Amino acid sequence: MNPGEAYLLPRDSPLEQMATFAGVCGLVGFVVCGAMAVATPAAVAESYLFAFLFWSGIPLGSLAILMLQHITGGAWGAVLRRILEAATRTLPLLAILFLPILFSTGLLFEWARPEVVEHDLVLQHKRAYLNVPFFAFRAVLYFVVWIVLSHFLSEWSRRQDRAPESIGLRLENISRGGLLLFVLTMTFASIDWAMSLEPHWYSTMYGILFIGGQVLSALAFVIPVTAVLAARPPMLEVMTADRFQDLGKLLLAFVMVWAYFSFSQFLIIWSADLPEETPWYLRRLSQGWQWAAIALIILHFMLPFVLLLSRDLKRSRRWLMAVAAVVLAMRAIDLSWLVLPAFDRGGLLWVPSDFAAFLGVGGLWFYYYVRQLRSAPMLPLNDESLPEMRGLQP
Amino acid sequence: MADKKPTKGSKQKGAPVSAGAGSRSLSSHLPPVVEPGYTMATVADKISEVVLTQNTPRGWYIGLAFSFALTMLLLVSITWLLVRGVGIWGINVPVAWAFAIINFVWWIGIGHAGTLISAILLLLRQDWRTSINRFAEAMTLFAVACAGLYPLLHMGRPWLAYWLFPYPNTMGMWPQFRSPLVWDVFAVTTYLLVSLMFWYIGLIPDLATLRDRSPSRTGRIVYGLLAMGWRGSARHWHRYEMTYLLLAGLSTPLVVSVHTIVSFDFAVAQVPGWHATVFPPYFVAGAVYAGFAMVVILAIPLRRFYGLQDFVTMRHLDHMARIMLATGLFVAYGYMIETFMAWYSGSVYESSLMNNRFTGPYAILYWSLLLFNVLIPQGLWFARVRSSTTALFMIAISVSIGMWLERFIIVVVSLHRDFLPSSWGMYYPTFWDWSMYLGSIGLFFSLLFLFLRFLPMISIFEMRTLLPESEVKEDLG
Repeated sequence: MNPGEAYLLPRDSPLEQMATFAGVCGLVGFVVCGAMAVATPAAVAESYLFAFLFWSGIPLGSLAILMLQHITGGAWGAVLRRILEAATRTLPLLAILFLPILFSTGLLFEWARPEVVEHDLVLQHKRAYLNVPFFAFRAVLYFVVWIVLSHFLSEWSRRQDRAPESIGLRLENISRGGLLLFVLTMTFASIDWAMSLEPHWYSTMYGILFIGGQVLSALAFVIPVTAVLAARPPMLEVMTADRFQDLGKLLLAFVMVWAYFSFSQFLIIWSADLPEETPWYLRRLSQGWQWAAIALIILHFMLPFVLLLSRDLKRSRRWLMAVAAVVLAMRAIDLSWLVLPAFDRGGLLWVPSDFAAFLGVGGLWFYYYVRQLRSAPMLPLNDESLPEMRGLQP
Repeated sequence: MADKKPTKGSKQKGAPVSAGAGSRSLSSHLPPVVEPGYTMATVADKISEVVLTQNTPRGWYIGLAFSFALTMLLLVSITWLLVRGVGIWGINVPVAWAFAIINFVWWIGIGHAGTLISAILLLLRQDWRTSINRFAEAMTLFAVACAGLYPLLHMGRPWLAYWLFPYPNTMGMWPQFRSPLVWDVFAVTTYLLVSLMFWYIGLIPDLATLRDRSPSRTGRIVYGLLAMGWRGSARHWHRYEMTYLLLAGLSTPLVVSVHTIVSFDFAVAQVPGWHATVFPPYFVAGAVYAGFAMVVILAIPLRRFYGLQDFVTMRHLDHMARIMLATGLFVAYGYMIETFMAWYSGSVYESSLMNNRFTGPYAILYWSLLLFNVLIPQGLWFARVRSSTTALFMIAISVSIGMWLERFIIVVVSLHRDFLPSSWGMYYPTFWDWSMYLGSIGLFFSLLFLFLRFLPMISIFEMRTLLPESEVKEDLG
């Protein structure tokens, strides 16, 4: 028997059942979206963009955490590695799921409508950057960079399972340049895909605020997955209370980072009160969106912040899973608050197509994610830090 | 008595590496934190010898004399400033903020490495911090002291500085709490007080060691008073560790908050070049960058002069170089995103500011900034550069110059050409601008030389916990 077999995802894992269910939801979601698109293509495109930006945040944030972990080390990394790698291996699927956005730029982006640009001097100035062919070229470039990085990170890590060679330094080296490339590409991707929805508005904080949010999404996603896996071997052996505490600390750190970035951007724009900057916040603080904003302050920051200060909570599998689930749900609200107020919806926050698109993209993505998780042992078998972690097991 | 039982930190040895702890993957291919061959006693000998010796090295006298002369220059400059007013500086409308603010931000940024090393790295259980934290904390205090001088003197009437505080008075005055300049008063004061407490509490067990070892009566009395009756009992250690951890927790937000508020001083304004939302994290990264550069600048000559290569090892320098590289890249990201957004904004003011930076009368400084702060530090990617003390020292100097230029670009270049071309102007530093700046460097080094002579520059008791013999064999099963 292959020694790695005991470490594969068990066939009867709850994740497998969830994946089947998610796959069905995904198909239904896509069919519903398709049907709605016949009547209201623009509304569906808007919903789809929001759903795509939320779900793509998980694998992209995972890519960032994975590389960060290869650079800094730490025992928490080895237990999370396969769970993160599986998320980054879904990037090819996301590249395909990006195609509908690429083909509906005219519906989504003002700068892609020649009749608007014609009467707008600022958009004419930006045409050198904001034009459909360059937008498409950049999107291809971003996905190539991310897919190549995730490919090497996960293939080298898997090769180590078969032959116990020390691959740590190689992974560390690719991660250094990789993280730099990731931050640059993701900054511009966030400008292209989200910030340019309101093409007059700009903020130098936007890129890292977006990346910070993605890392938080990824953490809030992998914590529940890890917690589910930790209910039985092999993850049961390594996911001690110490490991959960490490994950809880990370979650707390990124909740704070997100709040710090968001608040700084808000304070600076509020204080200067410039006519070219405030409309972005005015739209997000009126017509009902102010309730979403208040919910973000309370549930995206205050509640997880206060709860995660507790050592006992961080060490409890169930409680940490619950807090992470709240954060993940708030990540979805945050993304919808970032993206949807850009469109005129006549006072409605969320419309049915938002839910359909969210389920459609999310269902397919999760199905594919579990398939990736299944394709390799859940722990890096020959990692240097693994025996040590077991040694700490009481 | 304090000599015998240093237990602090030893139980952390068996503890798991926490989130973000980074030494594991690095430790495999890097030299150790303490070179082998030391015992509890020889560590104490080696470090306390610098303080307790009767023969002060001649180099120390020369260094102190030189820095003290510069401190005198500072005193002359301050006297002249109080006699004549801030008009002796080159400031005028439109550039009303210049050297005083640049130097304030520069010094306060330098202080950040000390706090990061002492608080965050302690909480992350990075034990390599032990041999550099003491003098890095001292550096923080002295840098904050230098920084604090400038806003006070810049006010023109420093004897009225207490007006900054909200206190009941008959003049009907109250600070404008919407202004980050007022937040600065509180942020910097808190920073100074917490850093001072942290540093002093960290010193107490070592002061007791010096008290017990001092050959002179005066030494025993002075160190004895400062040690506040430290006996090294288990109860003392227990309370000590509790206090130290609490203070570390208290200092951690300060690493971020102080420079965030300094960045708000600029960013809440409308002036192009000041008003950028990325400023808070970019300022914090710049502060840590400059701070580690200063620690490297101090550590490299110190370890050679006092023969401390076994305690401040190449591994420390390598770690600091990596932190410099990471924060430096973030600073470079700030320059990049500012330049891109200046174009992307389509705002004529933003883009003309950027043009002015690249091609205006101060363009040479902007290009030098890119050279010193972005290009030269890229050498840190290479292990060969990180393992050469000369190269590392040169890069750290380059970063210090670069970070000073960055503040010059932000403060002066943004101000000298704002919205109305009719009110544009130039700023040229005067003799008194330079004399204040050099004088504050003198003050910083004078304090540092006094610290080196009279207090242990490396924490004796914490160093002992890094020795193999202090390892506690706990039964983990």
